[in-house]
Parts: sequence; C-alpha cells; structure tokens
Amino acid sequence: MRQWRIIAKEAMARASIIGKFLCLLHVTDAYILSSNHVLGPSMLPTLNITGDVVLVEHLSHRLGKLGSGDLVLVRSPLDPKKTLTKRIVAMEGDKVTFSLDPTRSHSSRSLVVPKGHVWIQGDNAYVSCDSRHFGPLPYGLIEGKAFMRVWPPSSFGLLGE
Amino acid sequence: MRQWRIIAKEAMTRASIIGKFLCLLHVTDAYVLSSNHVLGPSMLPTLNITGDVVLVEHLSHRLGKLGSGDLVLVRSPLDPKKTLTKRIVAMEGDKVTFSLDSTRSHNSRSLVVPKGHVWIQGDNLYVSRDSRHFGPLPYGLIEGKVFMRVWPPSSFGLWGE
Repeated sequence: MRQWRIIAKEAMARASIIGKFLCLLHVTDAYILSSNHVLGPSMLPTLNITGDVVLVEHLSHRLGKLGSGDLVLVRSPLDPKKTLTKRIVAMEGDKVTFSLDPTRSHSSRSLVVPKGHVWIQGDNAYVSCDSRHFGPLPYGLIEGKAFMRVWPPSSFGLLGE
Repeated sequence: MRQWRIIAKEAMTRASIIGKFLCLLHVTDAYVLSSNHVLGPSMLPTLNITGDVVLVEHLSHRLGKLGSGDLVLVRSPLDPKKTLTKRIVAMEGDKVTFSLDSTRSHNSRSLVVPKGHVWIQGDNLYVSRDSRHFGPLPYGLIEGKVFMRVWPPSSFGLWGE
C-alpha cells in the first residue's frame, strides 16, 4: 500500500511541474509571441497559398499600436471558431473606398469606419472574404499582429508593407 | 560577492514560484471561472446599479452551449477596452423584433440575426445601449456567461428566469 502512495505522490509532483510549464507556455503563446500556421489564397502574393508559419505578437493590439498596413490575425465574425489573416486597410474614423468586384471599378462605395472598428482586406482582392463582405471588424476581435515569416526558409524574414 | 549570488539565486527561485502561481491564477481566471464586478443601470432589476460581484464561467461559450436568456460578459464593439454585461435575446438565425424607443411601440423593426452573431439587450431597455444600437454582436466578442451573484450578500445566489 505504501508503495502506491509513493508512486502517486511522485506522479502528482511530475504532473504539477508539467501543468505549470503548460500554463507558462500558454500565457506566452496568448499574450506575448506565438507561431501560427496560416494558409489560403486570400493574402497572395504576401503569404503563400500552401501555407506559411508566421510569428505573431500579441502586444501591439492591447497597447493600441496597430495601424493601416499591419497584417493581423483576427477571429472571424462569421464563424467564431475560425481565425483569419488579413491586412488592416483603415482604422476607426478613416474613410474607405472599395468595390466588391475589382474588375468593375465603377461600382465603388465609400464609408467611414465607425468607432471601435477597423477595416480589413486580403491582399488578393479577388478571392478574399473580408470587410468588403462582412463590414467593419470590431477591434476586440483582433488577436495579434503577424510581423515575421519563419517557414518556408526561402521566404524567411519580416513581413513588410 | 558569494553572498550576493546566494541572495540572487533565492530571489530568482521565489520569483519563479510567484510567476508560476500567477500564470495558473490567470489561466483559471480567463478560461474556467472568474469573479467580476459589474455595475450600471442597464441590467436593472436583475443586477444592481451600484454594482454586484458575479461569478462568470468561461467554458460555455467555447463549447457553443450559450442560448437565449443567458447573461453574458462581452467585449464592447464600440470600445474594445470596455466589457459589457447584457442578456442574449436571440441566437444566429433567429428573428428579432425590437423598437429603439420603448415608449412608442409602433415603430418596431425586425431582422434575422446573421450567422456567427448574437443579439444582446439589457434588461432595462430605457437606458441600455445594446444590439438595438450597435447591431448584432459577433460571437467572438463573448467572454463568459454570468451564472451566480456573490455580492451583496442579500442578493446572493442564482437568478430565476
């Protein structure tokens, strides 16, 4: 009987060390820096269609230091289980002009981005489902800013304008 | 010199224990259960105007188990630094009928809540700013479900419907 208690105690000690490490890993991943696998055609040519691994920092959006031209990871307003990667085109208060169909530029519309929202668009305007379809995105749905690509190695480096 | 190293080592050990505890506390607070101080007139008579401490669980909204009638904490779509407490009146796909001015019921409007959104309203319709003003709320902005009040002691407990 005593041996089982010793084994159980050792198991508990190891489980608590693993648990503490996972907490620390998660807090770093969610609030400081994380690596994310992003894929899809909506951000060509900036991001590859087959998938990239990008580093995402989670500090800028909490400090209010995001601006136009930033690549951001956002929670989708249409499906809360999905995360999208798009570019901020306009911040709150800016006027944005867009057309749903880029091949017919004469049907463009304009609006002012309301308070507490941003306007996001994919770089590949033809296949991207973004603010032109679901409207301005509430700022609270932004999860982080993608600043660097680490995979594939041929495209290693910072993600610029 | 050696004494400083011993002191520094002890300080690092204690700091790491405190750090690990804070991580664990934060993960519990953000993903399991937290206590929140909520105040304001928009949820009278359910919640007091001077402020209540409520217990909020953060599991239901991740498992998709929210429904009409639930009290929820949401991040404000107008000011991402603010958190609101409202009631879910309709889920995605439901038809909602509302009037901006409750005293004049003849100018009511109807709409269907789009996919990935919910419709929230404060119980005190006269002073509440909610989906009647800023539209359907993206599901991703929901932070937790309020299920119990713990302060003031005279109002301790669950609510009826």
